[in-house]
This record gives sequence, C-alpha cells and structure tokens, in this order.
Amino acid sequence: MNFANQILGILWKDLLTEWRTKERLCPMVFFLFLTMLVFSFSFKSDGTPVEEIGPGVLWSSFVFAGLLGLIHTFAAEREDNCIDALLLSPGDYGAIYMGKMLGNLLFLLIVELLSLPIFALLFNLRVGLYLIPLLGVLFLGAASLASVGTLFAAMAENMRLREQLLPLLLLPIALPALISCVRATGLIFENRPPQEYLPYLQILGVYVVVFSVLSLILFEYILEE
Amino acid sequence: MSSMSTWLPRLHAILVFFCMASLLYAVFIYVPTEREMGLVQRIFYFHVSAAFSAFLGFLLVFVGSIQYLRTRKATWDHLAVSGAELGVIFALVVLITGPIWARPVWGTYWRWEPRLTSMLILFAVYVAYLMVRGLAPTYRAQRFAAVLGILAFVNIPLVYYSVYLWSPDQQLHPRDVSLSFEMRLTRYLGYLTFSLLFLYLVQRRYVIEKSANRLAQIKQNLDGHPDISPRS
Repeated sequence: MNFANQILGILWKDLLTEWRTKERLCPMVFFLFLTMLVFSFSFKSDGTPVEEIGPGVLWSSFVFAGLLGLIHTFAAEREDNCIDALLLSPGDYGAIYMGKMLGNLLFLLIVELLSLPIFALLFNLRVGLYLIPLLGVLFLGAASLASVGTLFAAMAENMRLREQLLPLLLLPIALPALISCVRATGLIFENRPPQEYLPYLQILGVYVVVFSVLSLILFEYILEE
Repeated sequence: MSSMSTWLPRLHAILVFFCMASLLYAVFIYVPTEREMGLVQRIFYFHVSAAFSAFLGFLLVFVGSIQYLRTRKATWDHLAVSGAELGVIFALVVLITGPIWARPVWGTYWRWEPRLTSMLILFAVYVAYLMVRGLAPTYRAQRFAAVLGILAFVNIPLVYYSVYLWSPDQQLHPRDVSLSFEMRLTRYLGYLTFSLLFLYLVQRRYVIEKSANRLAQIKQNLDGHPDISPRS
C-alpha cells in the first residue's frame, strides 16, 4: 500500500464513520448557527454595513465551530483503544496525519459553506459574483486551522483537560492566519481590487505550507509511546 | 571540577551585579535626556534590553526543542524549559514597560502596532508552552513541549509580518534610530547586562530543573521498593 492509498484509507474510514454517525458535522453546523445568532443579537446587527463587523463575526464563528470539530479528530479513536490498532497497522504515521488533516479540512469547508447563507441572512451580506475570491480565503483559512489543529488535537488527546486545552494551544499559533483571513475577508466584502488582499492570501499560503510540512514531520513524536 | 561549578556562578553573579549597577548609573545619570520625549525615554534602555533577552529565551527553547527530539538528552529539555520561563518573564517586562513609555509619547497605552501585538502573541504562545509541560503526563511532557517549542518559533516571523500588513500605518516603533554616542553606549551596556543576567538565570533555572528531575527519579525508585517506600 503506497502513501497515497494509506492517506485515502484513513480519510475514507473517517468519512464513512461520519456518514453513519453524523456526530461531527451536525453539532458543528448547529453551533455555528447559534454563535452567529449570539453575535447578531449582541451587535444588534440590523442595518449595520456588513464590512464593519462581518469579517470578525464570520471568522470567530468558524474558529469556535472548528474547535468543536477538531476536538473529535481522535476522540473516536480513543474509545475502545482504536488508536492502538491504527498505530499497529502497517502504515506511515505521516499517512495518519495527512488522512486526519484532509478529513478536518473537508469538514471545516463543508461547515463554512453551509454557514454562508445563514451569515448573509443575519448580517445582510449582498450576495453576488464579487464574493467568489472569498472561496479562496475560506479554503486557505480552513487549511491553516486543519494543519496545526490536527497536530494539536493529537496532542490534547493525550493530556489532562483535553477539550479545554485544544483552544489554548491552537488559538495563539493560529493567530497570524486568523488575522490574515479577517483582513482579506473584509477587503473582499468591500469589493476592493485583488492586489489589496493578495498579500494576505500569500501569508495564508505560506502558513499552510510551513505548518503542514512541520506537523507532518513532528506528528510521529506525538504518537510514539 | 566541583570547586569550579561553585565559584563560576558566583563570579557570574558578581559580574551581573556590577553591570547592573553601571547600567543604572548610565541610564539615570550619565546619558543625556532625550529632547522630544523627555525623561520617560530613559525606560527605553530597559525595554529594548528586556526584549533582546526575551528573544534569547525563545531562541533557546527552539534550539533545545530540536536538539531534544534529535538526541533525547534531558539536558536539552532542561535548557528549553529554562528558556521558556525566562522568555515569558522578560516578555512580560517588555509588555509592562512598553505601555508606560507609550502613554506620554503615543498618547495611549495600547495600539495594535506590529511589534507590540507580536510580543503579546508570543507571550501567549509561550505561556501555552508552559501549560503543556504542566498538563501532559510526565513521560510525554518533554516531547510535546519540544514539538510546540519548534512550532512557536517558526510562528514568530509569520506573526510579525501578518500584523505588519494589517496595520502598516500603525508602525510606531522607529525602523532605525540615530542616537548620540552616550545613548548608544548605554544601549549596548543594556544589551550586555540583560544578556548576562539572562545567562545567569538560565544557569540557575537549569540547575533547579535538573535537581527536580533527579528527585522525581529517586522518589519513583523508592516507590517500587517494598521496604523503604515512603508511602508504606
């Protein structure tokens, strides 16, 4: 079994589990909806131009919902000690990381796309073609959260205070990516020319590449017994 | 050997003391008052020196983490944790002296300014590093901490660049400053003094960490022994 097949195997297993249980996506989407509702109430957003608070609200909600999903990355593996079987399987630790990371990326993207209509409704976002570059930001943002998030989820899984610990690890390290996401989203909402938000996308790209590679290398140190 | 390991730290401590005394003299008496900012500018010499030491600490965490994962020698881990604790403390000094200086000069304590924000984020990252050490089970703590130590350091340029892009108009820290001879001299004395202080504290912290680990090991060995176990 080559590396790519190993990755796809892990990814397929996770997707199948999710398809049967739906225990990751459903809470994430509903939680995201509630977070946006809370923001909408607390900012009393009727009629406020979306450029002002929109990007912040969008990304804060994504991060919170993302944390909820990332925590589950290895939770299913913990029950009945599935993680031991996974580690014993004839494969590379890197493949486990990549499979889990791609799964997280996919879940985050689905949640982000599902939440956009809710966001547009609550914060009166003008829907139009000018929003297409936003897809790029959403993808890169989800990829940056998934890259470090998967590594930290594995780490938090093996520590006391599991669920509480993940945000404390992830948020400070993910801040440069979040800052870039918020700024780029803001500029896209204002319908600015691409050269203004391109630098942010570049940072996000660098962030994703650097942290995916590093996490891939460091992942085996987390899992080894 | 044993005599050297006792007199060397003492000599180091005396050196730090004299450097600190001359730095205080230089900052408060020798150096001329800056024309525009006035007296408050004198905090600059502590502010930048502490920032320098904080970066030394973070660098030590990075080097110690890589070396620990490569060699698995506890020494490197002890050095990394010493660097992290001192880095956090010196970063705190920077974050406290910064606003004191900023209030009269910028007119406000806090601005979302690149270097200021970067330092705050770094502070948060390394506090998380120390928390990992506390919360991970002992046989994993060193490995987990090393992984985080590497990620945290790589994050530094990204943090700085993203905040800089976000608000380049907020760039209030001067890029290069032209200082008089006395000011430059005092500034370098500040770097020297704080580096020496940092090295001294790292050395002390390292000894403590080593002793604590040894003690834990002795306790563990005793626990397994039926006759002399302290719990029986």
